[in-house]
Amino acid sequence: MPAASRPIYNTLFRKNFVFLGVVFASAFAFEMTYDNAMDKLWDRFNKGRQWKDIRAKYVKTEEDEE
Amino acid sequence: MASLSQIPRTMLCALPRRVSPAALPIRALSTSSKRSDATSSFDSPFRGMGNDKASNIPDFSNYRSKQGTKSNLVFQYFMVGTMGALTAAGAKATVNDFLVNMSASADVLAMAKVEVDLSTIPEGKNVIIKWRGKPVFVRHRTADEIKQAENVKVETLRDPEKDEDRVKKPEWLVMVGVCTHLGCVPIGEAGDYGGWFCPCHGSHYDISGRIRRGPAPLNLEIPTYEFPEDEMLVIG
Repeated sequence: MPAASRPIYNTLFRKNFVFLGVVFASAFAFEMTYDNAMDKLWDRFNKGRQWKDIRAKYVKTEEDEE
Repeated sequence: MASLSQIPRTMLCALPRRVSPAALPIRALSTSSKRSDATSSFDSPFRGMGNDKASNIPDFSNYRSKQGTKSNLVFQYFMVGTMGALTAAGAKATVNDFLVNMSASADVLAMAKVEVDLSTIPEGKNVIIKWRGKPVFVRHRTADEIKQAENVKVETLRDPEKDEDRVKKPEWLVMVGVCTHLGCVPIGEAGDYGGWFCPCHGSHYDISGRIRRGPAPLNLEIPTYEFPEDEMLVIG
């Protein structure tokens, strides 16, 4: 797509500090999405074994007794 | 005679400056037959060498990008930027892991706070609680004691502190029970000033925990504490 490449180049890559800012911003975004994805994956692998999954069983009974 | 504009640049650079253009030693070029149909500014350095196979420049047009230079540039910068972003994220995660490793873990943080149920402490009584390996005095002060603590002339004290600066609720006095002299634990409801008395070297503290007589230089230390509920004290 040669038509789209020129505005992309002009906005993102022409000035070095803009380029650097884009790199850091995308690093931030990447880290957030990556962490979220890995947490989801971990939770899926360990479904039913973590405290937040089984907490309802125990906490609810305590509240019922009170 | 070849004019200067037709001499290849590489040769021009190699020539010494002083030589006049008329005396240029360009025998090889001047004897070679010049092509008259040269349209571009670039002339092959091998021209005039006949159809020698070794001097033929191959045709690179099949390998040239058909999308123009900008899309190639964008692709290259995109790859460079992606690499940089991944590296930055990795470096940040590494530094972050080290810093998290140095901070206190969850079990340490859980031990660092102590909850005290204040409804069990009657008025005019001391309670000693262990907090981070140190004793903490909690005194439920009577109205008389509060008045007594507030009426002390602050200017005459060794370590001048107002009583209202040392308590959050005037009826509850919370302080670390370590003598500021050499670290003994003072005895409650003793001493000349109705407060605490350190048996090691005879420091007298008043009902606000301020040093009044003896070798200790400072008032008893106040830990960080708060009252999340009415009858609940959390130290730490």
